[in-house]
Amino acid sequence: MASVAPVTRRVRAYFAPVNRSAGVPTLFDAAQLGRFDLHAPPAPWVDLGWVSGFTRKCGTKVDALLAGAPAMTVGQVRTEVEATVSLAFETWGKLQMTLASGSQQTNLLTTAAGATPNGSGGVAAAPVPLLTGTGPASTATSLNVGAAAAAGFSVGSLVAVDVDYTGQLGYVGTGISSAYVQTANAVGGDINYVRRVTLNVGVVVAITAGVLELASALPAGVPAAGMQVSQLVGFCDREGASFFQEWSGLFVMPGAQGDRVLVHYPRLQAMQGSTETEEALAAPLESIRLAGAFRSLPVKDANDGETVLCFRSYLPAVLRGV
Amino acid sequence: MQNAKDTFYVTLQSRLATLNAARTIVVRGVVRPGTLVDENELPSAGVSVDVFRLQWTGLQVNNTELLPLVAMECSIQYATDGSSGCGGMDRGRLLAAMDAELAAALGAEPHMVPKMNYAAAGAGVAATPMGTNVFWADPVFGAATAVDERLERTSTVQVFAYQEAGEL
Repeated sequence: MASVAPVTRRVRAYFAPVNRSAGVPTLFDAAQLGRFDLHAPPAPWVDLGWVSGFTRKCGTKVDALLAGAPAMTVGQVRTEVEATVSLAFETWGKLQMTLASGSQQTNLLTTAAGATPNGSGGVAAAPVPLLTGTGPASTATSLNVGAAAAAGFSVGSLVAVDVDYTGQLGYVGTGISSAYVQTANAVGGDINYVRRVTLNVGVVVAITAGVLELASALPAGVPAAGMQVSQLVGFCDREGASFFQEWSGLFVMPGAQGDRVLVHYPRLQAMQGSTETEEALAAPLESIRLAGAFRSLPVKDANDGETVLCFRSYLPAVLRGV
Repeated sequence: MQNAKDTFYVTLQSRLATLNAARTIVVRGVVRPGTLVDENELPSAGVSVDVFRLQWTGLQVNNTELLPLVAMECSIQYATDGSSGCGGMDRGRLLAAMDAELAAALGAEPHMVPKMNYAAAGAGVAATPMGTNVFWADPVFGAATAVDERLERTSTVQVFAYQEAGEL
């Protein structure tokens, strides 16, 4: 059967954390995983759903090497290699906001009584510890806080679960590096700081005998000993700051004939601040989409040691000409 | 092109029947799912209500690729008089129900199915899968029109398929 150009409705986006401390991205091997179920990506890839306005730009410059008289092109050289990606997320969620924010994405922790107003939330209320030795152990989808503490939560409560800030420096955030602490003074020694920036958040869908049941598993998995729970009311990002979000990205264009185009960027860093696009529905209604733009950073391909920015894979449909 | 039309019709009929098995029509004494292709039935001046009637209207063929890409416009008409028990006052609700069924059937993933050849299909003989997929865009719903006690709507959807070598 003759091959034809892929026809696709839209692009699906997946992101996975980069180990910022070790500088190790999450690599996607299309040879092993290229035909994965689009609705159930392999861990640790997170499905961020369909995106719109997906645009890949190649900023690579190829210059001619001239020699002779008259000068003629005798070769070429890549003088600059760059790849960027821009898109709009079709949903708003913690991870989508994080990726689109460009910098730290903070959780608006419920404030303590009388807290002084602050743009990213005032001093947070005291966190709630996870119980150990009493009742069931907490899991990635259920948090045992005890009956007394559970009375302070309700169905629909947003929660952040992470360790206390006790002076640690460098990347913070269990499971996914969500911020970088240069000095303890910078964060005021706030024990809630890690929960203020963590991506380990969830929605309470039921409360049973002191256990908060979550809508989905916490990204960092089973809570570690010592983690506490803070309530939050939403999310906040800022224009400016010093942190750059960096993630591994995978974009899939499923073809109508069963073919598939996959574009993998092992290291994507945000290259713009938080911005939105508007899609008109019917005047005066508009749908607001999170806009993200990313610049790809290099990795070495283990097969040949070449330094590259992205991998584009094409999986043909069955019995197509190649 | 007939294979693509047949494949799309069978797929849509199946999806709609799954959503609402009670939507049926009696055609020449046989109870069938409530999705018909007008050109496959006896011509009739009457309008069947509470069923989906497909008409193949537009056609475009793009020959720039190795396999010609055929784009066919499928016009899906449906109407309701409401139920006699409600004196027809539920015709809006019944039309909305049909809108929802059609939107769900065409919106459900996947938006493609393998093209099948039904030429030799019959009792005990399955259709033959072909080498490409039939796929379609999102439906466009037209305005509902009221004709006396009847509410009608037409939805159009672009259906695409590749003409395979030797296929007519």
